[in-house]
Amino acid sequence: MSRTIFFEVEILDSKTKEQLCFLDKVEPHSSVGDIKSLFHKSYPKWYPARQALRLDPKGKALRNDDLLQNLPVGTSATLYFRDLGPQLGWTMVFLAEYIGPLLIYLLFYFRVPYIYNHKYTLTSSSHHVVNLACACHSFHYIKRLFETIFVHRFSNGTMPLRATLRNCAYYWGFAAWLAYYINHPLYTPPSYGKTQVRYALIIFVLCEAGNFSVHWSLNSLKCEGAKCRRFPNPSKNPFTWLFFFVSCPNYTYEVGAWVGLSIMTQCVPVALFTFLGFIQMSIWAKGKHKTYTREFKDYPNFRMPILPFIL
Amino acid sequence: MPSSLKARTSGTTELLYESFLSRWLVIAVGLVRAYLARGSYHGLYYSIEKPLKYFQTGALLEILHCAVGIVPSSVVLTGFQVMSRVFLTWAVTHSVREVQSEDSVLLFVVAWTVTEIIRYSFYTFSLLNHLPYLIKWARYTFFFVLYPMGVAGELLTIYAALPYVQKTGLYSITLPNNYNFSFDYHTFLILVMISYIPLFPQLYFHMIRQRKKVLGHVEEYSKVE
Repeated sequence: MSRTIFFEVEILDSKTKEQLCFLDKVEPHSSVGDIKSLFHKSYPKWYPARQALRLDPKGKALRNDDLLQNLPVGTSATLYFRDLGPQLGWTMVFLAEYIGPLLIYLLFYFRVPYIYNHKYTLTSSSHHVVNLACACHSFHYIKRLFETIFVHRFSNGTMPLRATLRNCAYYWGFAAWLAYYINHPLYTPPSYGKTQVRYALIIFVLCEAGNFSVHWSLNSLKCEGAKCRRFPNPSKNPFTWLFFFVSCPNYTYEVGAWVGLSIMTQCVPVALFTFLGFIQMSIWAKGKHKTYTREFKDYPNFRMPILPFIL
Repeated sequence: MPSSLKARTSGTTELLYESFLSRWLVIAVGLVRAYLARGSYHGLYYSIEKPLKYFQTGALLEILHCAVGIVPSSVVLTGFQVMSRVFLTWAVTHSVREVQSEDSVLLFVVAWTVTEIIRYSFYTFSLLNHLPYLIKWARYTFFFVLYPMGVAGELLTIYAALPYVQKTGLYSITLPNNYNFSFDYHTFLILVMISYIPLFPQLYFHMIRQRKKVLGHVEEYSKVE
């Protein structure tokens, strides 16, 4: 019977350096995640997702899957704790972000009292395109909610509550702003009439289908949290052929769908939302592209992050 | 920022700051001369209108300096301050003619002038490595009065501009139009005034904290001696 050497772990507060917890007889093959669970027992308020443990008060936070015996500590470890604040799981985050715009747009579509002049309360617009825009906008967010619940597989990561509230304020606020103009009694339909609306609708539908296809294909990649064994590739579905040209075709299609909506409604706030979304998604796409090229040596050179040949 | 680049640019930066300093002195002198000539402080805005516009807009370079690293201030704070000044100069005072003879304009112009003279002297002498304690003390003490003075002048000026903006519909777009967009400058100005409530205390307390950091050490040394 071999003698296992147990570790001692001391957890100090990053700022005050006072000892918060002392754990003895910790198994050497315990992970940082296990330590967080033990710490949580002494401090029920600080569930593991809220804890950041570091070897150095100003250093990088340790990962949950780091093993105690692999850390440069010896048998007696000192870890520094920082409270990350209340956290929300990714699913909750996305549900909150998407349900807002869906419902808020409808408030404006049905012209709920106190938004517009009282003589227009609960009336409906005479323009066909306004009904179509409502259907498209609602479909977009219902599709997203569906994907969040049934399609996406999220890692066990979380997002801080503060950041979620800020994101919700952005999405909900913008939805209200653009819905206000589209459903306004003085709304002006597009300059090129039915032709413009028809082409915009085709763009929108194709991009929504493309976006869903890409999400579905990413789903079948068999990833464990953030680490994937293979990078995404085109499949038999023609919509996924965009993978030949870009690393993140889901973002490309997303921008395309909003461009469609902008042309359909001919409304500046929608175009502005599209533009800002494009900037944010380009940043994300560039980051993802860098990760792919770093992790996979055989990553195709031909691909750009978000726009074929351009960006 | 690489030290070689810093060495090469510091000479140019000094010249830049000296020129900024002298320009604000020009404004100050202009104000004093006009005051003596007229015997009253009404309408002094017109005597320094052009220099003020050019120098305040030139201060946009300040943001670049912070971004590149020549000046150790934060890009966000400096950018915000410069933007708000450019906004006051062009979008309010220049655009709404009726407001130009208001006393509140003089209030913020004087506050800005004194602040900038002290600030640029501070930067210039710092770069020359020969900073008189008086300048450092002035920079971190005068703001106690100058900030509220400037803010009061700015707010009163915007408030004075409101009725004219509403009457003429300045910078506003109404529905219906082909791009389904509207903008009410009057409401926008009110929102700008409201934004002072959270923002001004942050800037003020930031300066107070800086003061403790910069001037606090010197008091400790003098105690030791």
